[in-house]
Amino acid sequence: MENNTTSNEYVRGTLKTIVLNLLAEHDRMYGYEITQEVKDRTGGAIALTFGALYPVLHKLEQEGLLLTESVEVDGRLRKYYSLTHRGNETARTKTNDLERFIEAVRLLLAPKNLATE
Amino acid sequence: MKRLQENRIDQISKYLQASKLDPELLPEILDHLACEAEESLWDGKSFEQIYQDMVKTADAQTLLNLSVDHQNLLAMEKSLNDIVFENRNKSYGAYDLRKGYGQTVQRAVVMGVAFFLLLVMFPQLYAKLIPDPKPNDIAYIVEASPVDIVMEEPPAPPPAKEELETVQKTVKSLTPEVLPDDKVEIEELPPVIEDLSNAQPSTETVDGVENIETIAPPVANVPAAKAEAAGIEPKKEETFTFVEQSPQYAGGNEAMAAFLRKNLKYPRPASQAGIQGKVFVQFTVGSDGKIENAAAVKGIGFGCDEEAVRVVKMMKDWMPGKQAGVPVRVRFTLPIAFQLD
Repeated sequence: MENNTTSNEYVRGTLKTIVLNLLAEHDRMYGYEITQEVKDRTGGAIALTFGALYPVLHKLEQEGLLLTESVEVDGRLRKYYSLTHRGNETARTKTNDLERFIEAVRLLLAPKNLATE
Repeated sequence: MKRLQENRIDQISKYLQASKLDPELLPEILDHLACEAEESLWDGKSFEQIYQDMVKTADAQTLLNLSVDHQNLLAMEKSLNDIVFENRNKSYGAYDLRKGYGQTVQRAVVMGVAFFLLLVMFPQLYAKLIPDPKPNDIAYIVEASPVDIVMEEPPAPPPAKEELETVQKTVKSLTPEVLPDDKVEIEELPPVIEDLSNAQPSTETVDGVENIETIAPPVANVPAAKAEAAGIEPKKEETFTFVEQSPQYAGGNEAMAAFLRKNLKYPRPASQAGIQGKVFVQFTVGSDGKIENAAAVKGIGFGCDEEAVRVVKMMKDWMPGKQAGVPVRVRFTLPIAFQLD
């Protein structure tokens, strides 16, 4: 629980990039599939709540980066998301940006750790 | 994967509806929660426990936040019209009109510009479409014109001769009718009046004494006075336009035509410029048959006028016109035709 809350703080800024990156790897995904994928790949370190995920998905859809299609599965309507052409480009640039940011943060954190030790 | 029973799903759905989740979001969230529940069922949890956990994570506040987020997102898409017509009768028509206003204006502008351009370009378009018939018209005119040229050339010479003849004829025919009256009145009346006063003195030299007897003779003298008057007139050199017997070139018209043909030279400037036409030379045939005061009355220029006058002056032998048998000065107009062969 503690782990989750801290990660949520950082996830909020990177969630959009994470979602775009995941959708770039798959043809189409639905909301729960995304949360499961994140959970599985991070070993539960990052858990997306539906309260955080769906607003981001809807925002990306409105910006024209995502396409949606509703398919009936097991008597329920399931909404699948896929990247548009523009979404693909955005996913690439955003992923690059995040990687550079993480590198920078790592550089920032490393000397501090050395100094304290 | 275990599947959730229908009534369980209904239960979740009712819970979401009770939490006032946006209806548009409901199917998606329902699917998400159902998937989660099925996953948990697979793990061996009972539905009751799962439902408790679900209500804990998806509490009313979280669902409300979702709804608000969604509303905010939609609000950004909403136009002014949507805000104005919120809670109003949209089916009345004004909403549709307002909604389609942008498109209508765009269409109107395009049509207006197109119409204006068409109006401006119309003359050019018309000029592009019409010129085809024109060449045909010209072609027809060209075909007709050579016929006219052929017609003009041959008939030109005869008129010159005809006019010469007509002039002579008219002079002859008119003289007996009109001229005698004018001349008799003008020239003979004064003598009659003078006879009353001056004739007596003039005859007085002979019959001065017989004044009383001469009252009768003056009447008899009138014809004599006429003869005298006729004799006096040529001395005054009065110029006639019409006489009983018009002057004539010695040898007649044929000879004159031959003379003209022989002596007339076509002036170079006129031949170069292709000038044709008639020069009217007016001259006076003296009582002795000599040509005087020759001048071109109406000409065609390019040296033709001078040439015509020169040749006319060269003519010598004319038979003077006669009035009452007495040769008189007569003004005469001779048309000379210049014609390029």
